[in-house]
Amino acid sequence: MAGFLDRLLERFKIYREPGYYKRYDYWWAMVVDLDRCTGCGACVTACQAENNTPVVGEEESGKGRVLNWMRIERYVEGEYPDVKVKFIPVFCAHCDKAPCEVACPVYATYHNQDGLNVQVYNRCVGTFTCATYCPYDVRRFNWFTYKDKGSFESPLDEQLNPDVTVRTMGVMEKCTFCIQRIVAAKDRAKDENRKVRDGEVIPACVQSCPSKALTFGDLNDPNSQVSKLAGLPAEPYYLRESGSKLAKISKNPRAYRLLEDLNAAPTIIYLKRVMKGSSTIGHE
Amino acid sequence: MLNRRDFLRVVGIGSAGAAAGFALAELNAPNPARLIPYLIPPEDIIPGVANWYASVCRQCGAGCGIVVKVMEGRAKKIEGNPIHPISKGGLCARGQAGLQVLYNPGRIKNPLRRIGERGKGEFQEITWEEGLTILSKNLKELRDRGEGDGLYLLTSPISGHLKLLLKNFMNAYGSSKYFAYELINYENLRFANNITFGQNSLPHYDIENTNLLLSFGADFLTTWISPVNYSYAYGHMRQGRPGLRGKVIQVEPRLSLTGANADEWVAVKPGTEGLLALAIAYEIVEGGYYKGEDRGKWLAALERFTPRDVAKVTEVAEERIIGIAREFSKTKPSLAIGGENVSSYENGVSNLVAINILNYLAGNNIGISGGIIPNRDIEKSSFIPVNSLMQDASKGKIKTLILYDTNPVFTTPGAVKVEGQLKNIPLIVSLSSFMDETTLLSDLILPTHTYLEDWGDNFTEPSVGYPVATIMQPAVNPVFNTKSVGDIFIHLARNLAGVFQKEIPWTDFGAYLQASWKMVYNKHKDMKEIRETTFEEFWNNLLSKGGWWKEESQAGKKVYISVNKITPYLPKGPASFDGDDKDYPFYLTLYPHSSYMDGRGANLPWLQELPDAMTSVVWGTWIEMNPERATTMGIKEGDVIEVESPFGKIYAPVCLYAGQRPDTISIPIGQGHKFYGKYAEGRGANPLDLLPFKVDERTGAVSHNSTKVKITKTNSPGRLVKMAGWTKELGRDIVQTITPEEFQVKEG
Repeated sequence: MAGFLDRLLERFKIYREPGYYKRYDYWWAMVVDLDRCTGCGACVTACQAENNTPVVGEEESGKGRVLNWMRIERYVEGEYPDVKVKFIPVFCAHCDKAPCEVACPVYATYHNQDGLNVQVYNRCVGTFTCATYCPYDVRRFNWFTYKDKGSFESPLDEQLNPDVTVRTMGVMEKCTFCIQRIVAAKDRAKDENRKVRDGEVIPACVQSCPSKALTFGDLNDPNSQVSKLAGLPAEPYYLRESGSKLAKISKNPRAYRLLEDLNAAPTIIYLKRVMKGSSTIGHE
Repeated sequence: MLNRRDFLRVVGIGSAGAAAGFALAELNAPNPARLIPYLIPPEDIIPGVANWYASVCRQCGAGCGIVVKVMEGRAKKIEGNPIHPISKGGLCARGQAGLQVLYNPGRIKNPLRRIGERGKGEFQEITWEEGLTILSKNLKELRDRGEGDGLYLLTSPISGHLKLLLKNFMNAYGSSKYFAYELINYENLRFANNITFGQNSLPHYDIENTNLLLSFGADFLTTWISPVNYSYAYGHMRQGRPGLRGKVIQVEPRLSLTGANADEWVAVKPGTEGLLALAIAYEIVEGGYYKGEDRGKWLAALERFTPRDVAKVTEVAEERIIGIAREFSKTKPSLAIGGENVSSYENGVSNLVAINILNYLAGNNIGISGGIIPNRDIEKSSFIPVNSLMQDASKGKIKTLILYDTNPVFTTPGAVKVEGQLKNIPLIVSLSSFMDETTLLSDLILPTHTYLEDWGDNFTEPSVGYPVATIMQPAVNPVFNTKSVGDIFIHLARNLAGVFQKEIPWTDFGAYLQASWKMVYNKHKDMKEIRETTFEEFWNNLLSKGGWWKEESQAGKKVYISVNKITPYLPKGPASFDGDDKDYPFYLTLYPHSSYMDGRGANLPWLQELPDAMTSVVWGTWIEMNPERATTMGIKEGDVIEVESPFGKIYAPVCLYAGQRPDTISIPIGQGHKFYGKYAEGRGANPLDLLPFKVDERTGAVSHNSTKVKITKTNSPGRLVKMAGWTKELGRDIVQTITPEEFQVKEG
């Protein structure tokens, strides 16, 4: 047993070495332009449709047990009539130094070779530790097997996406960056003996966004849409080093990451909203 | 659980559905050979690999192009059609939830005949043959008695060849009573546009290319006209043009989602928006920004509306009015739009005319990129004011009423008392997919396909500056024993024989649609844009692309607006309200909710659980109230209050919302269904119950913002389920911002 754990730790160390990512082909990331985002919520429903997220009902919603993998947060500044409402879509940031990954006692959540923070439902025993450690509050717990509670009452179950598991009671779940779409694109690319093209993988939320606020792609590719929007240098790897703020290295004056001081190195890059009377720091 | 036989059955039928896009013959064939599907695998189905069918969304009237992902005959996902000029690949939450319309447990599964008393909800399942025979027998008798004009057909506003078919049917039958009704309609806007621009249609508002958008209560990012297209345009206007970022000013008493995204919010007093527009117009003319020869005349017409006087009425500071007027004139191109909120006062048309003329005075923003691009003329809409329909009902003029896709019992003001009036109609036939309030009152229910199972097409109004036609094709085979609404009328025509056979000779609606498009093709095939040499090729391309459109330059003609012609239509003063100020101190603003619209989305669980954009409330009705005002009245968030107008009262919990004028409360429309499936029934309250029977006299459109109310705190149990916690950032710098100045400098 001890030998096994040592081996595991050894492997974990190797894969956490600086520069390990250079050995991998992709580094999936998302850019969210808050100046385009209107807060309409189309992405939330699109995510629910794609990922078989059950509807939990009024009672469970009231207990804070909604299962939506992403949400729109709203912040209200000021008093009437000088009110400003700001929106921000929040999903799993697939942090490079994800606090949830070190927390899980059964390795149900780990970092895969594409820079994704992955959740293995079969391993999860529901200790809730990851959700407690997550600074972005994006992990959702299945308190029930909602399928048995009538969340997919026939014929609503005909809609369930066959590419995504329907989760059961006791399992933690969260945004996967629509990994089923990534896998499909990678398979296709492999068959054709090429790399996945920029824009070939589009997660459900990105696809549905009416105002085109969301962009998804590969940060390893300096010519990808996300790399350009994020304004990263050709070798963006030190984005993953500790303490480096995006504002210091990005060419885009609007780029930042959520709660950067926590040093979780999230791979979701937000572009600041342009707004009168508000500045980067010092509001409520 | 599916047993093996059921599984085979579903898969078998599905394979026919998948092929339907390309082979019309498959449509009506529940082919027994297909019950063993993968023994001889269908050519276009590979298990686990999706087929995508292009179609059109019918969740609102915008006509977004969609693609439906179908795997093994089941619809799995709806996405925006990336090449479609309206949706541009995007889709709103309502569009996404279309799958739950198709697979809703509350759908009517078989034709039904009423057996108990009307309204008791006692029905008996019958066959289609029986159902159609009952109806055709009734129609035959009616016509034989010479009362053909007693057949009324009431639908939602539909376009395309279905509308044409229904019209042909009614003409052949000898009835002129084909009407459309919807609560959230644009009749006032069409009327105002006819007065100002001489075109009785909705123009293309080129938000995409404008530099200053002045919006009077137009919540164009959630519900107004074409939200997905306008959202795309909004994103492009903000960040799609390097070095150029358009500005938005929103004028409305309640801060809507669009208002929250605007740069400035003008919290105008309800009912005075039109006057504010006139004051801005006055300043534009007076300040010399309007260069026309008739400047003097305009000044005379507007002299009553100086910013100084109007400031007192509207509660918007004089300097601010002048500032907006100057900015609006100096910024080119600029665009002023008037939305649902201002058109829903009793003087809605006048408000919209006043807003329209701003576009003319500030340098003729009409017909230019970034302004208003008038549409081609469309045929007159068949909108019926609900009062004239009710008059006809009470006089006994309506002998047989056929309803399709419309729910007037729910979507009309409480004071109209539609339910009572419908009692005078001998036969009510509802062609509906769901048991809604109106369908429950009918005698015969013929369940229809949803839009994912049906053929059809859509000619988009207002379009995007050039004509767009979108084809609707069945993505899946019917889930229940339902029929296409087109097929129902074709079947009726066959039963009635005679003149109908000549007018409507087709076997089914799909064939009719194809035949109609063949005529279109033959007429236009010499156009250089049509490269297909045969109709078959053209039709296949039409289905795979999702429709037909021709991108054209958006330049249009300039218009001239004569002062004398326009003056009678301008608002004379603030809108009038029912309920005096003393007894009823609050203005009531009702708005179509972004998820439920006029109530039709309330039966979709995804939409019920989608947190409201501004308040994050789910699964219910709430009343938005200014926090300070609520505190002075001793009302806390979550308290259930009684809202009383001179016409009715409702109960709902309060949600404190800072984007609300202290003298106004707002309630979303859409909840409070008595019957509409288990997800909608008995949930929340219907605020339309508070409304008087009041319409804009010029068009008959319901004025749902013309009432005042009083509120009382009660101890009634009620629940406000809110998803968001604290709405303050507490120094965490979550939504970071930069000022427009910083942005300009840094973007350089």
